[in-house]
Amino acid sequence: MVTIARARNSTRDMRAGRRPGELIDRATSLGFTWNGRRYSGFQGDTIVSALAASGEKFFSRSFKYHRPRGILTANFHDPNCIVQVDDEPNVRAAHRRLRGGMTVKAQNVWPSLAWDIAAVNGAFPRFLSAGFYYKTFIKPQRLWPAYERVLQHFAPGGRLPASSAGGEYDKRYAHPDVLVAGGGPAGMAAALAAAEAGASVMLVEEEYELGGHLRYGRAGELALLADLRRAVAEQDGVEVLLNSVVTGRYDDNWVGVLQRELPNAGERLIKARAKMLVVAPGLIERPYVFEGNDLPGVMLSTAARRLVNLYAVKPGQRAVVFTGNDDGIAAAEDLGDIGTEVLRVVDARRGEGVRRAIGRGQVSGVELDGGTELACDLLVTSVGWTAPTSLLNMSGDIPRYDERAARFVPGRSAQPNVMATGGIVGDGSADELVSHGRAVGAAAAARAHGGNETGAPELVPRPHPALFRASTHGFVDFSEDVSSKDIFSAAQEGYDSAELAKRYTTATMGPGQGKLETVNTVAVLAEATGRTIAETGTTVWRPPYVPISLGALAGRLHAPVRYSPMQPWHEARGAVPLVAGQWVRPEHYGDPGAEVRNVREKVGIIDVTPLGKLDLRGPDVPKLLNLLYVNKWSKLEVGSVRYGVMCAEDGVVLDDGVTGRLGEDHYLMSTTSSGAGAVWEWLENWLQCSYPDWLVHVTQMTTAYASINIAGPSSRHLLGRLVSDVDLSPEAFPYMHVRTGSVAGVPDCYMWRIGFTGELSYEIHVPAGFGLYVWERLLAAGGDLGVGAFGVEAQRIMRLEKGHMIVAQDTDGLTEAFSAGLEWLVKLDKPDFIGKPELVFEHEKGPGSKLVGLQPVDPGVVPAEGSQILTDDRVIAGRVTSSRMSPTLGRSVCLGFVIAELASPGSVVTVHLPDGNDVAATVMPQLAHFDPEGARLRG
Amino acid sequence: MARSPVRPAAPVTRRGNWEVSARRSSATLRLADLSPLAKVQVRSRSQTEDVMGVPFGRAERDGPGYLVIGEGPGVWLALGPSGRELAMRAQFDAVGGPSFTTVTDLTHGYALGRLTGEQARAVLSKLCPVDLSARNAPNGAVFRTLFAGLVACLVRDDVDGALSYLCYCERSSGQYLFDVIMDAGGEFAIDADGYPGTEI
Repeated sequence: MVTIARARNSTRDMRAGRRPGELIDRATSLGFTWNGRRYSGFQGDTIVSALAASGEKFFSRSFKYHRPRGILTANFHDPNCIVQVDDEPNVRAAHRRLRGGMTVKAQNVWPSLAWDIAAVNGAFPRFLSAGFYYKTFIKPQRLWPAYERVLQHFAPGGRLPASSAGGEYDKRYAHPDVLVAGGGPAGMAAALAAAEAGASVMLVEEEYELGGHLRYGRAGELALLADLRRAVAEQDGVEVLLNSVVTGRYDDNWVGVLQRELPNAGERLIKARAKMLVVAPGLIERPYVFEGNDLPGVMLSTAARRLVNLYAVKPGQRAVVFTGNDDGIAAAEDLGDIGTEVLRVVDARRGEGVRRAIGRGQVSGVELDGGTELACDLLVTSVGWTAPTSLLNMSGDIPRYDERAARFVPGRSAQPNVMATGGIVGDGSADELVSHGRAVGAAAAARAHGGNETGAPELVPRPHPALFRASTHGFVDFSEDVSSKDIFSAAQEGYDSAELAKRYTTATMGPGQGKLETVNTVAVLAEATGRTIAETGTTVWRPPYVPISLGALAGRLHAPVRYSPMQPWHEARGAVPLVAGQWVRPEHYGDPGAEVRNVREKVGIIDVTPLGKLDLRGPDVPKLLNLLYVNKWSKLEVGSVRYGVMCAEDGVVLDDGVTGRLGEDHYLMSTTSSGAGAVWEWLENWLQCSYPDWLVHVTQMTTAYASINIAGPSSRHLLGRLVSDVDLSPEAFPYMHVRTGSVAGVPDCYMWRIGFTGELSYEIHVPAGFGLYVWERLLAAGGDLGVGAFGVEAQRIMRLEKGHMIVAQDTDGLTEAFSAGLEWLVKLDKPDFIGKPELVFEHEKGPGSKLVGLQPVDPGVVPAEGSQILTDDRVIAGRVTSSRMSPTLGRSVCLGFVIAELASPGSVVTVHLPDGNDVAATVMPQLAHFDPEGARLRG
Repeated sequence: MARSPVRPAAPVTRRGNWEVSARRSSATLRLADLSPLAKVQVRSRSQTEDVMGVPFGRAERDGPGYLVIGEGPGVWLALGPSGRELAMRAQFDAVGGPSFTTVTDLTHGYALGRLTGEQARAVLSKLCPVDLSARNAPNGAVFRTLFAGLVACLVRDDVDGALSYLCYCERSSGQYLFDVIMDAGGEFAIDADGYPGTEI
């Protein structure tokens, strides 16, 4: 087992002198802990730069072999610097800015980063080779649960404590003319040029500041950066999003942008619809594959330059630089500037090479081609670049391999609303990149607004030696612990296409999502199969570009809620809330049984505002009603109300309710609470699509009125105390009629004499703003009558006692009208109505099952709703759809579906209870268990 | 006494029949509840703008000072001073001429808010997917849109040159509408304002 303790160098101060482009504020020191030990850094440090400045070199253990890992890229994409910060797992510590008081820990190690027991895996690499997932833990199959429990312990990633409060997430929409992905020199120039041409621009930069590679450049580059930043800041029409990343590009330039670390939210997902997308991510430096390439102390040249120039951190004391380009030379110069001894620059352009890194736990030396060994604690590699073409891939582009430059380049086949600029296109000086960016930005603005485009200057990738793998094997994917040997093995086993090898080895499938790994994987696979890289091709890059937290995808919780005007009263009286769709309703006020008794004996009021209410006007309303309902409507008189049931084309019950005729051409339709929206759409659909010539206007009035049902023997008496302009006597205002008048002085109220509870009752619809006022007046006026509020549960009990069905509870998606016991309502002699053909068929063949009233023989047993009804042969013959203990009857009562053979009154059926017991139940002569004649209702 | 679906910010007073907030905010970003305003819907089979003088997708003030919103083909919503709904209905009854036209009082049917301030667009961009840029949504633009999961209408109706939007939805969702706007506006220091008066 390799431990890091022996190589620990943690007390050494590696902070260098002031650098011209440094981001740290040396006047502001921040304290934090790393694995329980106290450290300090400066404002502007990343977590890792602060630790590196204190001499720390080890930040994680690798996925499979738990090998110690140190800085590789020193930015967001560093696969070796993923840590736990407080209760937030998987934090990119080479990117995340230091904050005072942070508790930072290594992830996926036990018992500690220094002594990790799982590092023993490194002794058995052949058991964890490519595709081991598909070869092991297969047999015996019965042991899989045990395997699974063990394997869960090895899952990478941090831990989210159960006590975590969770993060705050946000969402936003945006519609920029031009969205620029990448705030380097070309991206900034593109944004400026587009904005100068009048485009609205969103400039998205992954880092905390604009600038790209200019940030860690020399004096000239820093001066150019300052000019560009100033210009962007002063330019109207450019919205700059820092510490943000474009996560993906979808059809019609729907672009996802993830913002991080906002004052009001940990992350925000922006859904941007951009007229033009300019892809300007620059280039990503590629690691080199050789033995020991994952040892702490081996890092990319850009990592070394970031540490030196942005954070004034010395990455090591004695360095060897292996390079194939001038950037490696620049890194060597930077290192020299801060006092790191550069032992040797090994230049591939001179035919030199690195064979392996030497060391246990960290680099202690380098063996060069030819066998020369150099003692050092830092090996910097600069072997080439990867063009992150993922956003172009997502736009239909297929990258092509440029053998001369030894990298993939855009295939120039992206959608016309997507353009590219900067390093991803080709190489050039900072000024050349800016020129190209300006030309592309201006062209993007012109394309967005339909103007004339001018061409962009050529930006051609420079020749570069093909440096992918040394003569030794090393890691290709640092996130997944996939080595070049694994790729060779996969190829030998037949996984010789890039897509197959990727999935078999999991190379490129880790948190890095292939940014560092894809090209090396392809190059090694090409080598293993004897093909060229161009022949091998690359894998497809799909969204997201970087991992996104589920919280960010979910965004802010937006779940609309509806309240009745009387909700404050319900809350003040401690009503138990019932969430019904979007509505919050009072289920009961403490004792639903007592509420039932009060209604049956005295008078009660219930808030039924959610009942659907549609205002129908026009001379053709009767035609519409005859079309929608299964019964007849042509002769409904002004002031009358009729019950109706709607069916869909397949004869299945869709909704029910009453409709009243308020005036010559004016009707008010009520629907079920849950059906209010759907019925409205149903009406509009038929009117707009099938009968556009009918003169009918439908207006949704559900929440324009507060609805109150006044039920019980004293309901007429109570309502009469608040109504003076309507004669409430049974002769003048009989059952199933409607009147318009004032209630408690509030004009334009509708009063229906109908009753869902089976009692004498009035349903009043009051202009909603006055709802609470009228509710309180009713309660005040009826004190001596014993009036009390009742909730939805009491209403449900009473309607069940009365045998009134609820659509979608006592029916389902297959219940046709005759099955629902509605033969008394369906008028097949009407010329036509929706569902008639199917109902004619059902009528001829007879319903397969039927809704019936059921009473358990044991009156104390209340079968659970959904309990199965069985034949003598214990075959399912139906189900209980509604059941309650009736406070009025002192026994259980039910509605249920049974097959026609068992639906005859007096039949005794077997109800199978969820606890496994059976109870016998008798089929009743009618649905109503209470007052089947309706004497109370019509009283 | 009539009440808005939105809990009024203290202090509370009474204007006509309505209980309203008397709060006066000086914040640069403010949300006020205008639910007591009269709201009358006019629907006509004639879908030309001649009926109400305002095309679909636009909102304009008419002679008496009503804000007429062209909220659909052949559908308008007129906003007027609180308590004027009967007079508005009477006025609009004749606008359709021989065309099939109906006039419906929806004063109690909608919750109505006004969001005012330079950051109003930024707040709304967190809640609805419509492009609210000046180019796409100039003063007077009307949209029916999904608004934090809710169907709502947005009307850009600047006040004295300040960016301002009216937003309305079914009354029962009024409190939710206000809650999500206040939540979205938190990062911009939004403040609840009182009922400004009877005029629109």
